[in-house]
Formats: sequence, C-alpha cells, structure tokens
Amino acid sequence: MAREATLAAPVARPLLSRRARELLTGYLYLLPVAIALGGTVLFPILKAMQMSLYNHVLIKPQEYGFVGLANYARLLHDDVFWLTLWNSFLWVFGSVSFQFLGGFAAALLLHQAFRGRSLVRTLTLLPWIIPGVVVALIWEFIYQPNYGLLNDVLSRLGVMTERVAWLSSPVLAMPAVILTNIWRGVPFFAIMLLAGLQAIPTELYEAARVDGASVTQRFWHITVPMLRPIIVVATATRIVWTFNYADLIFVMTSGGPANATQITSTYTLMQAYSNLDFGYAATLSVVLLLIMLGFTIFYLRITRGLESTT
Amino acid sequence: MRRAPGRDLAERVLGGPVLWLGLAALTLFAMLPFVWVFLASFKTRAELYATPIVYLPASLSVANYVEAWTSKLTPFSRFFANSLWVSSVTMVATTLVSILAGYALARFRFAGRQTFLLIFLATQMFPAVLLIAPLLSQWYALGLIDTYQALIYSNFSFTVPFTVWMLVGYFESIPLELEESAMLDGCNRFGALCRVVLPLAAPGVAATAIFAFVASWSELLFAITFTSQTEMRTLSAGLLFMVGQYEIQWGQLSAGVIISTVPVAILFTYLQRHLIQGLSAGAVKG
Repeated sequence: MAREATLAAPVARPLLSRRARELLTGYLYLLPVAIALGGTVLFPILKAMQMSLYNHVLIKPQEYGFVGLANYARLLHDDVFWLTLWNSFLWVFGSVSFQFLGGFAAALLLHQAFRGRSLVRTLTLLPWIIPGVVVALIWEFIYQPNYGLLNDVLSRLGVMTERVAWLSSPVLAMPAVILTNIWRGVPFFAIMLLAGLQAIPTELYEAARVDGASVTQRFWHITVPMLRPIIVVATATRIVWTFNYADLIFVMTSGGPANATQITSTYTLMQAYSNLDFGYAATLSVVLLLIMLGFTIFYLRITRGLESTT
Repeated sequence: MRRAPGRDLAERVLGGPVLWLGLAALTLFAMLPFVWVFLASFKTRAELYATPIVYLPASLSVANYVEAWTSKLTPFSRFFANSLWVSSVTMVATTLVSILAGYALARFRFAGRQTFLLIFLATQMFPAVLLIAPLLSQWYALGLIDTYQALIYSNFSFTVPFTVWMLVGYFESIPLELEESAMLDGCNRFGALCRVVLPLAAPGVAATAIFAFVASWSELLFAITFTSQTEMRTLSAGLLFMVGQYEIQWGQLSAGVIISTVPVAILFTYLQRHLIQGLSAGAVKG
C-alpha cells in the first residue's frame, strides 16, 4: 500500500503545466520572427510615420523640425501627387488585366499534354523570375530608338516609317512600360492558374463530356467556377504588388518624360533620391500604406464572402 | 449508360492548330527578348550600333563577358560574389526563422495566432518604398551602411512574411499523429520537428528557401540605397550603376544581364514544379 503510494506520487513535478509549457514553446519559436520583422518592418513603419511629421530635407539641415501635418497638407495640394495616383491606376489596370488574360491563355496551353512540356513551361515562365532591373534593361534596349529591336521589326513589317523614341515620348512611354510589365507578369498568372487547373478533378470534365457538354460549356461551367477562388487571390495579390512596384519604371524612365510614367511609388522614391526630401517621401509612403491597407481590408471582405458561399 | 461522344470539331481545332500556334506565340513572346540580349552579348561595338541592325554576331566572341567580369569600373565578378553571399545568407537565415515560426503557427493554438497570420499576409502588401527612408536612417545610426548585414537584414522584410505563410500551409498538411507518436517515444517538440516534420516537408522547405534566394538576388532598391562603394554592390545595383556610367555600353551590359539571369534560371527549373504544387496547396486554402 505504502509502496504503491510512493510510486504514484509525481517524481519530479514540472514547474509549469503542460499547457503553459506548450504556450511558452510556441512563443519561443516565434521570437526570431518577431525580432526579424520588428526590426525591419514594424519599427521602420513607425519611424516613417514619425518622419512624415517632420520637415526633413537632407540638404537643408537647418530647416529640420516638427511640422505636424504640414507634409500631408502639402500632399493634398500637390498636383503631381494626384497625377501619380491616376498614373498608378493606368499602370495597375493596364498591367494586371493583360497579365491576367495572357496568363490564363498560357495556363490553358501549358496544362495540355504535349511533347517537351516541361521545357516549354520553364522557358515561358522565366520572365517572372529574373531580376526587375534585368527586365528593365532588356526592354530599354529593345525600345532604343536607333538600334533597338522594336523599331527595326516594326519598320521591316511596314507598320511604321519613322523611328520612335518609345521611352521619351509622353504618349508612348506609359504603354511601353506597361508592355514590359505585362511581359514580366504573364508567367505569374500562368503559374497560379496552372496550379489551379491541376487541382480540378478530371472526373468533372469526363462527367460533363458524357452529358454532352461542349468545350466552351465545360470551360464556362467547370473551369472558370473552379478557378474563381484562385483568380481572386492572384488578381488581388498582383494589384497590390503592381501598385507598390517601383523598380521597372524607376530604371526605365525614372517617371519621365515630364511625369508621364510617374506612379505614386516611383514618385515617393524620387522624393527621397532626387530631392532628398525624406519628410515628404515618408508622407507619401504612409499614404501608399493607407491605400494598400484599405484595399487589403476590402479584399479580405471579398475572400471571406467567397468562403462563406462555398 | 451513355458513352462520351468523340472529339467534336471545336476540340480538334483547339487541340491541334490552336494549341500549337498558341504555344509558338507564347514561347516567342517570352523568349524573344532573351534571345535579343543573348545575341547582343556577343556583338562587337560596330555590330551593336550598325544600321540597319545586325542580328547575328559574326563570331561568338566572349570579349564582352571578359570585360564585364574583369572591369575595374564595374567588376561583375565582385558583384556576383556579393549577390551570392547576400542571397545565400538571407536564404539560410530566412529559412531557419520561418521554419520555427511556420511550425509554431501550424501546431500551437495560442492567443493572437490569427493576428499573427494576418500580419504575415498584410506585410506582403506593404510597399518597399515605405521602408527605404526609415531603414536608411536606422542602418546609418547603427553604422551598417556599406555592409552585407544591412542588405541581409533588410531582405528579411520581404522574404520572411512570404516563406512563413507558405510553410504554415506545408506544415499543416503533415499529419499530426506522426509527431505525437515520435513524442510518445521520447522526442521533445524540437526533436519531433527536426526528425519527423522537416524530412516530410523537405520539398516545400526547399522551394521556399529558393524563393528567398531568388527574391534577394533580384532586390534592387535596398541594394542601391544602403551601399555606396563599388565593392559592395550586388548584381542588380551594379547593372544600374553601369547604366549611369557615361554612355550605355550595351555589349557589356548584355553580358551582365546574362550573368545575372543564369543562376536564377537554373534554380527556377528546379523550383517550377514545387512552386506549382505548393501554390495549388496554398491557394486551395485561400
């Protein structure tokens, strides 16, 4: 009896309950990520918010000081800022809509079984993975007026007779950078939608065939509805990413000529790099952040809605 | 029971001519710019600036590559080594941090878990330009300008949120029972993670690691902002710097473009398959 009691007694009772230890381990595992993102995202964002309240121009240190919301007031009256918002809209809409259409077509093609499929997949998806500055330089070379590829091809085809300076024309510069971005972004949609296509059970198509559904009917009644969640996710991600993306335009035109390709994110960059106006650049970036947060909340609402309907 | 009808006209056209024409157009659209730059990287100055345009270089001279690689002004060998180091360290550090975080979020149920997940999603939506000015003053204050650390730490801001998000999905797809039996056999949490979960999640972990490498390899804005010396430039920053020098040397620049592309292209051939699988797994969850 006594022996049994000593056996049953806990030998070394742990200091914390099992549940508490689990929790502690969980938080411990999150500690590195908290430090990494705290130091490189959270703290800098707070710092940017603080900077946006200061007059902080690097070449005019004597004017440094707290100015409250003056930078935000300046932004409201800054015509270039409103122009960049409109340009951002054109840039995002033009890029994402064609990237989606091209990517969808590419995904449908690459989903078919044919000889050499994996090689063709790798080759056609390549533009997405290479560095942005590489994309920008390749296309700058293609658009080059005197010895670029595009002018030569178009004049050989008889489409045009005069050489066009694509990136220095106020009218053509925006379509030119958008075309470059389309080239870069088509593979993104192709990969996402290809992943979606592979997840659709083939039985659905077979059953529809037995019932006599045509190719187009199968496309609209099986493929599109089944892909809808992934289309929403991919498009939203791409819209945000394109809105924020500055590298291409920054390298190709720096927002020129005469702000014709200046989108809000490159305008923010130019304020910091060219004007060394860190206060105003911070203000612009905080506004960018607010726009993106608004869009993200809107997007999460939509995806929640999608989940509840399925 | 009815039998499926044979292929009708629309299917035959779509599966035949339309498929082949579409594939040809797609491949041409994707590859033509690469081919153009690849050819240009072998051209001599005279061939590059000739009118009418000379499409094929007379010889496959590697002079442009040698010049770019050994140039004093824009040493691509140095840029390449910098990119390799920054991207590799970012990859390893990101993967370690993300494995722990992804595992914790997939397995532990604690207060604030949803908030954490949402933060990782939202962080991916932040504009990089937002971080440039504050990070610059932060690295300046810490004396990290012109160091690899500044670039590596800054890269975490965009690699970590994505890899954590992806790894949570991978870890959740691994059955819990395997770990539980390992822990019954005397493994602690960390042992179970290393011996049971990681081997099973290895393809996913490898894919996210490669993603971190490729994303760091491509990074431009941090690299040009936090470095000022030529020896500290990465390939992306070096290419941009080269454009700023006098007139654009398209021959050397094309060689530099090819040099910057080849490593990620090789990694991508491996990544492609896993990425498509991983994305479909993640995307189905939404």
